[in-house]
Amino acid sequence: MLSKLTTSAQTRQWPGHIPVEYVYTAGIAGEAFLRALKDRGMLLTSQCPQCQTVYLPARLYCEQCFEETKQYEEIAPKGWVHTYTVAHVDIDGEALAVPQIYAFIRFGGTNGGLIHRLGQTQPHQVSIGMEVEALLLPGKERTGSINDITCFQPTK
Amino acid sequence: MSERMAIVGLGYADIRSCTPGISYKELMYEAATRAYDDAGINPRKQVDSFISVSEDFWEGTSIFDEYVPDQLGAALRPVHTVCGDGLQALSCAAMLIETGQAQIVAVEGHSKHSDMCTPHHIHQLAFDPIYHRPLGAHPQHLAGLEMARFLHESENTREHCGLVVQKNRRNALKNPRSVYGSDLSLQDILDAEPTFTPMGVLDAAQPADGAFVVVVAAERRAKALSTHPVWIRGYGWCTETPAVDSRSWGEAAYARLAAHQAYRMAKITAPARELDFAEVDDSFSYKELQHLEALDICPQGAAGAWLQAGITQTGGEFPVNVSGGSLGVGYFLEASGLMRLTEAVLQLRGQAGAVQLPAVRRGLVQSWRNLPTTTGCVVILERADGRE
Ligand SMILES: [Zn+2]
Repeated sequence: MLSKLTTSAQTRQWPGHIPVEYVYTAGIAGEAFLRALKDRGMLLTSQCPQCQTVYLPARLYCEQCFEETKQYEEIAPKGWVHTYTVAHVDIDGEALAVPQIYAFIRFGGTNGGLIHRLGQTQPHQVSIGMEVEALLLPGKERTGSINDITCFQPTK
Repeated sequence: MSERMAIVGLGYADIRSCTPGISYKELMYEAATRAYDDAGINPRKQVDSFISVSEDFWEGTSIFDEYVPDQLGAALRPVHTVCGDGLQALSCAAMLIETGQAQIVAVEGHSKHSDMCTPHHIHQLAFDPIYHRPLGAHPQHLAGLEMARFLHESENTREHCGLVVQKNRRNALKNPRSVYGSDLSLQDILDAEPTFTPMGVLDAAQPADGAFVVVVAAERRAKALSTHPVWIRGYGWCTETPAVDSRSWGEAAYARLAAHQAYRMAKITAPARELDFAEVDDSFSYKELQHLEALDICPQGAAGAWLQAGITQTGGEFPVNVSGGSLGVGYFLEASGLMRLTEAVLQLRGQAGAVQLPAVRRGLVQSWRNLPTTTGCVVILERADGRE
């Protein structure tokens, strides 16, 4: 290129906007998981008949064996903190007025887990291994979403 | 490897924090022009196949692969896009040559990150739409979660992660192909504004614009074209799982398995002894430590201690990210692997300028596709006179 722009006042920009709208289908196992959460406040697992891995959230097939999972089972939403982080920044990059704690939570008798908010606690009170339980929306306010769980909180 | 092949051309352009005066096509054109000139070839006649890497959402254009031929000299020619890191495209180029389908292949990657007005929102679209995305968190919360678990499981510490930032940003001060060089004290880094604890704002690589093109040639052509070919000795790539519920949280299994594949091909059994340096993914400070352990370059849990002992510093026994890595040079989206590859090739040619290492013969390049992925790629390179 023989010449280039040398002042930013010469640059031309076209603002664009991509209106992305989509419906995501939860699928056979996903729908069963979200229904168990909405209707009974429980977490649905499924187990691989070959390697015995217990998936949470329930899945239709095992990623290790490529087998269809069986033995769907509901467990209470009580687990422990596998790892956690205190977020000081929101998705726009702006400072949060109140820091938000996120955790990956594991559940007994399963090989899976969920990332969710931690609430009813303070950052300095949280530790890896801490026992937590789901704080659920009242039954009639649930929509079949992971946000039917308001947050996880320290087990009482 | 059945067919020997080498990198014979290298071009890069406009490595800057933003590039308002040039379009992505011109950016690619400029890097491609330099790479073809470096290889001494006419792309319209001598390049048999072209590969680029891109993601539609990063580009802001659907079916983006249709927009790449003209600026690479690839119109009316075999061209395809890999929706992955640049080193995955390099692996495809190697396979095209190994199968005899092509003799010369051009590989391109670029970042026009500065064109994105809402990068975190676009990035969040990569997260699981049912179980994860509805939480509405900034994408880097996942790095905070992963870093906390990594530090919990290993001997490495928060201070070790800070030393990675210090090392790489200082290295970048000497590298003119970088954006974020600076001389920071460890305390500056540890005291920086917390973002996703234990991570602070300086633990995350910052984005940069730029384009990178490499030309790969089969042995016979490589020897005719270049006086300093850099041989590709091995390559491997691996994806663990997209699911957060079944991935390994404390270690980088993808990097370990990709390295196994590349080491097997290159017949490497003791990486730290048989390699002279590495350019590894450091998109977040802890990732450099985690990756060095997964690559079996240092013992499990020892990466931080190696850094503290100076082993991975520029003057040390096994320099890591002498270029400055992504923390110092910048994060280039899917072109990040090609940035690392460019730096390693320049090292092996003896053309790395102020960051040149003495007497390097063989090096490793490793990439990771950033959050929320578990995909990594490893390439082993060797200098021309390092052949058996
Ligand atoms: Zn199984």
